[in-house]
Amino acid sequence: MLEIKNLHAAVDGKEILKGLTLSVGIGEVHALMGPNGSGKSTLSYVLAGREGYEITQGSVTYGGKDLTAMKPEERAAKGIFLAMQYPVEIPGVTTLTFLKTALNAQRRARGDSELDAMSVLKLVRQKAAALQVSEEMLKRALNVGFSGGEKKRLEILQMALFEPALAILDETDSGLDIDALKLVADGVNALRAPDRAMLVITHYQRLLNFIVPDRVHVLADGRVVAEGGKELALELEAKGYAHFMREPA
Amino acid sequence: MSAALAAIETRRSEALDNFRTRGMPHRRFEHWRYSDLRAILDAGQVAQSGTAKWRVENLPQGVELFDLARPADAPEWVMQNLGAVGNRPTMKEASLAFADGGVALRVAKGRKIAEPLRLQFSSAGNVRLLVVLEEDASLTLMETHDAEAGLLRNVGVEIALGGGARLSHVRLAAGAPKSITVEHIAVTEARGALYRGHFVNFGSRLARTELHIVLQEAGAEAHLSGISALGGETHADVTSHIEHAAGGTRSTQLFKNVAGGRSRAVYQGKITVREGANGSDSRQTAKALLMGLRAEADLKPELIIFADDVKCAHGAAVGDLDQESLFYLRSRGIPEKEARRLLVRAFLEEAVAEIEDENLRTEVWHEVEHALPHAMVALQ
Repeated sequence: MLEIKNLHAAVDGKEILKGLTLSVGIGEVHALMGPNGSGKSTLSYVLAGREGYEITQGSVTYGGKDLTAMKPEERAAKGIFLAMQYPVEIPGVTTLTFLKTALNAQRRARGDSELDAMSVLKLVRQKAAALQVSEEMLKRALNVGFSGGEKKRLEILQMALFEPALAILDETDSGLDIDALKLVADGVNALRAPDRAMLVITHYQRLLNFIVPDRVHVLADGRVVAEGGKELALELEAKGYAHFMREPA
Repeated sequence: MSAALAAIETRRSEALDNFRTRGMPHRRFEHWRYSDLRAILDAGQVAQSGTAKWRVENLPQGVELFDLARPADAPEWVMQNLGAVGNRPTMKEASLAFADGGVALRVAKGRKIAEPLRLQFSSAGNVRLLVVLEEDASLTLMETHDAEAGLLRNVGVEIALGGGARLSHVRLAAGAPKSITVEHIAVTEARGALYRGHFVNFGSRLARTELHIVLQEAGAEAHLSGISALGGETHADVTSHIEHAAGGTRSTQLFKNVAGGRSRAVYQGKITVREGANGSDSRQTAKALLMGLRAEADLKPELIIFADDVKCAHGAAVGDLDQESLFYLRSRGIPEKEARRLLVRAFLEEAVAEIEDENLRTEVWHEVEHALPHAMVALQ
């Protein structure tokens, strides 16, 4: 469903992705691992459509269509969800208002009817309990004053609510202690489904103990340098990134 | 001629002399720097603009109303206060000299009025408002200005608050892109009095809201807030001067501006802490969001402190919408236009939240929503 071919992308004129090729099939869970600066977050932003990322070469198709031509909101409506490494704080917008606005915008774009406030609240409550997102959090301004763990849980709550076909999890494990990590991972695992693909981006193998991938890709210097099954992550943990960077795939 | 009439006529002729001697305010005066009134209006036009209309939509029980068009019958409380509250700036002197009408309101000692009083100003001209709250009285005043202001509408407001009195004042001015709108509000506060003023501006050719507040006795408080949502070629200037004349007085100010098109938002906030006013606490914040490259905001806090033991904080910031927030919202499926609007609304939220009365807050939001598309036009 996601086909990335020979992707080159630059930020402020500096090339970060240098011929990345990667393909994710329907319902598959892929892990993308790599050291700092390898281009992991750049890829996630390119896929979500953030401005300022210039694609200089190659292609990205999603469901057979050119993804790069779509606005961020179109991508979301078509089922792409990016759980961000650093979710943004927005004072003045309550979390619940944000969830309702986003959910209804996606529904509208897909031609579905909008849900009223009560129905949204019911739906949110139903999904929030398992992620330990409290009523109080929902009433607070979006991500304002949230702990690292709360922010990540709210990202996963959004994923549960929007039911994406492709979820990209960008360093969802960063800044979490083991309990918080487990809670988030359980939330993600509960959302695994035959029609939901995931691209789990991480620096460390630790997260993959909890979210076990079908495929693992190693990214270094803007390119995929190694690929394999879940055991590749363990090998990587044992040998370190330097080992893989010396022998390009 | 009655004694009341004679006293009022004396004060009015004094005001006329002051206006004639000083002439029109212009940008060479520091506090008129961003709003050059003389460049677009002459003294003759002010004198000939007549008297604007006022209408009290509801008079809650316990509020006394006097029509200033009948000065000969003025009661004692009007005679004592009309033209006597606060300082005597030029345009306020003009409204006193030229307005043959206006309204005076009084709430007697200890009376607390729950229902908001709604007062509307309409048409062009000068007009006066006097509000007297006696000791421990309280009132919520919703003052609206309609859009048909002709060449000039010049409103002179005096508010005298007795000890422990509380006034919540919301002023909602409709956009009047072809008119010049000037309002001067003077407030004096006795011990423990509280004034809350919220000013909503949608701009006019030149819109000036000038506040002069004197916290005369210990424990007096003033809390000012407001928003300006401006588009097209409009302008809105809020200039405040709060004087902490006694110790233990408190003031806060929070003004948010959204300026699009070729509009200009101005905020000047001066705080004076007089000698001996120890333990005074004042805070002011002014922020502006600029839409596009043609809009302008001028924010100028100013502190003049003659006392030693005071707390004064001020801040001003001008910027545009946060791109990271915008991307976050869009990545969740919210279309760009809606996301921008959500962020602008969020920016204003804090200031609108200062309005205590929920119905009035809802009414203000309604008007703001209506004005935002215009204020969010970004020209390059």
